[in-house]
Amino acid sequence: MKKKILIIEDEKNLKFLLGQALKEEGYEVEEAIEGGEAFRKLEQGLKPKLILLDLLLPGMDGYKFLTEIKKDARYEKIPVVVISNLGQEEEINKARELGASDYLIKAHFTLDEILEKIKKFL
Amino acid sequence: MDIETKDILDNLTDGLLVFNSQSELSSINFSAQKMFNVKEEEVLGKNIEDFSDFDLINNVFYLLGKDIKECFRKELEIREDLVIEITSRPVLKNENKIGSLVILHDITREKRVESMKTEFVTISAHQLRTPLSSIQWTLERVLSKKAGQLTPEQETLLKKAFEDNKRMVSLISDLLNLVKIEEGKDVYNFRKASLEKVVQSVLEYYKHEIKEKEIKFEYKVLNRRMPKIEIDPDKIKFVIQNLVDNAIKYTLPGGIIKIILSVKGEDIEFSIQDTGIGVPKAQQQSIFKKFFRASNAVKIVPDGNGTGLSVAKKIVEDHKGKIWFESQEGKGTIFYFTLPIHEKENSNN
Repeated sequence: MKKKILIIEDEKNLKFLLGQALKEEGYEVEEAIEGGEAFRKLEQGLKPKLILLDLLLPGMDGYKFLTEIKKDARYEKIPVVVISNLGQEEEINKARELGASDYLIKAHFTLDEILEKIKKFL
Repeated sequence: MDIETKDILDNLTDGLLVFNSQSELSSINFSAQKMFNVKEEEVLGKNIEDFSDFDLINNVFYLLGKDIKECFRKELEIREDLVIEITSRPVLKNENKIGSLVILHDITREKRVESMKTEFVTISAHQLRTPLSSIQWTLERVLSKKAGQLTPEQETLLKKAFEDNKRMVSLISDLLNLVKIEEGKDVYNFRKASLEKVVQSVLEYYKHEIKEKEIKFEYKVLNRRMPKIEIDPDKIKFVIQNLVDNAIKYTLPGGIIKIILSVKGEDIEFSIQDTGIGVPKAQQQSIFKKFFRASNAVKIVPDGNGTGLSVAKKIVEDHKGKIWFESQEGKGTIFYFTLPIHEKENSNN
């Protein structure tokens, strides 16, 4: 069975590129545009091994999603890696305090580097 | 009716406080009364130490102390909607101090514009990163040939686009750093640290590059015991990194780079001398300006962005140190900076 990864991202191009790269590596990719949609998918029984989360999202944003998922006993153990273009120290610290497993600034990494970074959570 | 001096003072837009030689308030104009929300009759004749019932004007006492120290354009946020710049001067008569003059200039609007500008730059920089990441990832995929074969020429062209896109990303990061450091808010994490160790860690990083470029390298610590000093090690590391990086970049293979660390009076001095291309005399005054790059530097290293030294200067000055250089075009450059060993009192500029 292929390992599932849930991408929560509203930027179409980025989602497409990241999705393609993950699929080529042999992962199954699920997508959500914002936190609310991601939660609905989880409730419907989606069991991702890893969640890749953008922070600035329409609807439920990344911080809120992190807060909620880490409170929920059913999902709290799923590692969440933040992939965002916000890169100030306070943003990184906030996400980490809320329980993010790692924080990657999109523009600073190539897709290959991102794949390498998330491997340890899969 | 004649206009009297008091009328003029009262109608100044700047606030004005006059203290006599006993530090008692002998005059306060309208603007100052408005800024501090006090009436003349409530505070006139009071000693600067006795303002504790009036919390706004009491800020002046906190800043200047009971002897009313001299200061020049110190910023003070009195209320959320009022930031003033305070200048305090002695009033002299026949070279004797007979009192003090405190001038209060409202800079609230300037501060607001400044912070809006900062916010604008920060937000646009963040926004720019998204399309740039998309371009970067697209080019990466095409270059990895996952989307089909490329002719050698196509590959060369796309690689150039990929590199320049990366440059833009790093330019934006530099810009964000610059804005953050210029804004100066909560960016420093001061603690006692060894400058020697900071220098070591930078040199460790550049070891290979120095060797590869066949540069003769010397590093000397002149004093046996270097005192630890109050610094933000990460920010000072950035300064040293910049100076070392420049020295390596602008020194041709076979050249010499010499770093000296020493105690000079009340300061620790760091100097880095190179036998590089130097800075043309006519451009020396611009070297610490934002985005400035000397004409001969651009020729050797086309893709710098000219923010390094301006940030370095800001960091050193925020540590109450000094940074300067001596240079001769074609011969080389020495950069110096000093950091105080003991914390200097946070008063006069």
